[in-house]
Amino acid sequence: MLPYVIANPGVGVQDLSERFGYRRKELIDDLNLVFLTGLPGYGPGDLIDATVEDDEVFVDTADYFARPLRLTPPEALMLLASGMALISAGQGPPALESAISKLSGVVAPDSGGGLVVDLKEPEFVDLLRDSVEAAQVVSLTYTAIGSGATTERDVEPWSVFSANGNWYLSAFCRTADAERVFRVDRIRAAAATAETFAPPDEPPPPEVRYTPAEEDVRTIIRLNPSAQWVAEYYPVEDLGDGKIRFSSGDPAVAARLLLRLGEDGELIDGPEVEQLVADYRTRIQARYARD
Amino acid sequence: MSKVIERILNLLAFLLTVGRPVSAEEIRFTVAGYEQGEDEAFRRMFERDKELLRELGISLEMQATDAFEVEYGYVVPEGGYELPDPGLTDEERAALWLAAQAVRLGGQPSGPEAIFKLGGVPGSVGGEPLSANLGEDVGLLGDLFAAVVEHRVAAFTYRDKARQFKPYGLVHRRGHWYLVGELVDGEARAFRVERITDLTVGDATFTRPPGFDVQRSIPDAPWEAGPDEMTAEVVFDASVAWWAERELGANANVKKQPDGAIRATLPVAHPDAFIGWMLGFVDEAEIVSPPELRQRLLDQVGAR
Repeated sequence: MLPYVIANPGVGVQDLSERFGYRRKELIDDLNLVFLTGLPGYGPGDLIDATVEDDEVFVDTADYFARPLRLTPPEALMLLASGMALISAGQGPPALESAISKLSGVVAPDSGGGLVVDLKEPEFVDLLRDSVEAAQVVSLTYTAIGSGATTERDVEPWSVFSANGNWYLSAFCRTADAERVFRVDRIRAAAATAETFAPPDEPPPPEVRYTPAEEDVRTIIRLNPSAQWVAEYYPVEDLGDGKIRFSSGDPAVAARLLLRLGEDGELIDGPEVEQLVADYRTRIQARYARD
Repeated sequence: MSKVIERILNLLAFLLTVGRPVSAEEIRFTVAGYEQGEDEAFRRMFERDKELLRELGISLEMQATDAFEVEYGYVVPEGGYELPDPGLTDEERAALWLAAQAVRLGGQPSGPEAIFKLGGVPGSVGGEPLSANLGEDVGLLGDLFAAVVEHRVAAFTYRDKARQFKPYGLVHRRGHWYLVGELVDGEARAFRVERITDLTVGDATFTRPPGFDVQRSIPDAPWEAGPDEMTAEVVFDASVAWWAERELGANANVKKQPDGAIRATLPVAHPDAFIGWMLGFVDEAEIVSPPELRQRLLDQVGAR
């Protein structure tokens, strides 16, 4: 605050309080504290002269505090990264772009382009955001990630958020009659309807979660060391000895995973999935044999 | 607490004006607030104040108080206090503050301290247009960012191996933070920040090659990074064309067919990653060429 007051003598108490998030009394207390500090000798000419007259603030004899304090690396990083995230998502006003370029020039000179934040927004994010705001029911055409199955659903959108590089919609799905989290890039079509809904008082926190349900298909898979990423990527149960228990609502999720793993993953138990993998193999071989 | 703030302001005022290194002893008997206390009490008080200054972004350095280097004292090093004026307007500060509120790092929104240092934000600014979490521990990222900005060699452990690295940039892409640059022996590399441990940033500095393009160091699609180089031609049926098109990346050349299918040519550097992705389409997509990539996919499907 001090550099700002020194640069703007006579600034109003009101303006200063708002700008630096003070309540009036706190501001006066802090100014009184400043009044007690200064240079050795600590006589009238050495102490900082902080005065409030007619609601105007003056600070004198403190030119050494005229320059603003530098940002710590985490502070600079957080400001730059959040600004760049917004810009890359197409949400940055021109003032943000100029602010980021000015700030980079000061905190990271000679490191041209040393920080890159890429947070592209898929189609429909804007539409979904508007529907959350207006509490409007949305019709979705959605393709599930693992199984590839496409469904039509009516949902009550609660929030749109980004995590782990993907965008998600948290919503109450009327078709499933349950709370669901959808990946936005898997939404093929979305349209807001005229119908509105009453949003919950406390919607669940925006996070990706998966809780295995009773009716889920459970598969036991043995992973080679090179396929250990699966255990980190999917919510699986570690059975030790390289074995995992993999639960999914649709056996196609496990089947596609096994196909992708090839020799790196071995199905230990899961007859339904085994049948599906065999079916996938035949279908792929048939397609490649065609030409 | 106000006693501490008072003492810190006095200490800073003294250090910023005295213009020479001053010993702890001199500080103790000159700066208001340190008078009372035993040796041990002073030492603890002074250590704590130095730590507080460091958290504010001011690191004190030790320098010899005279040419004979008999005694050492504290100074605020040049460039260790001031923020060069970025010349921000109120509108730009408000835009920065709004961005800082909408985006989280490591689950935390940033506090207002940084924006206060830049001159505060007039009036109250509301609204959260975007809610995004960029993940990762801010402390580690902050240290890496400092190494990038100050051109300092970083030493760390990555997958159980000790590395000496010249960090040229930090990139957030597809949900992960990457540290990009070159190993000290010259090999260009990118490391996932979440797997970096035991980081120390030393005093050794490097010269950043002017042509290094941080933006291009992390590929757009996962199969674009790897040791091989080939151009693949693939087709996707109409039923999955929408999804393939979204995933293909900027380097793919996509042609729409009359029946809604798409035909694409694209660079592939990591065949296994690419085949894994293609298999996700089961029989609704096909690799047309090169023949060896086709065969590799079929070998994987035919395994066992």
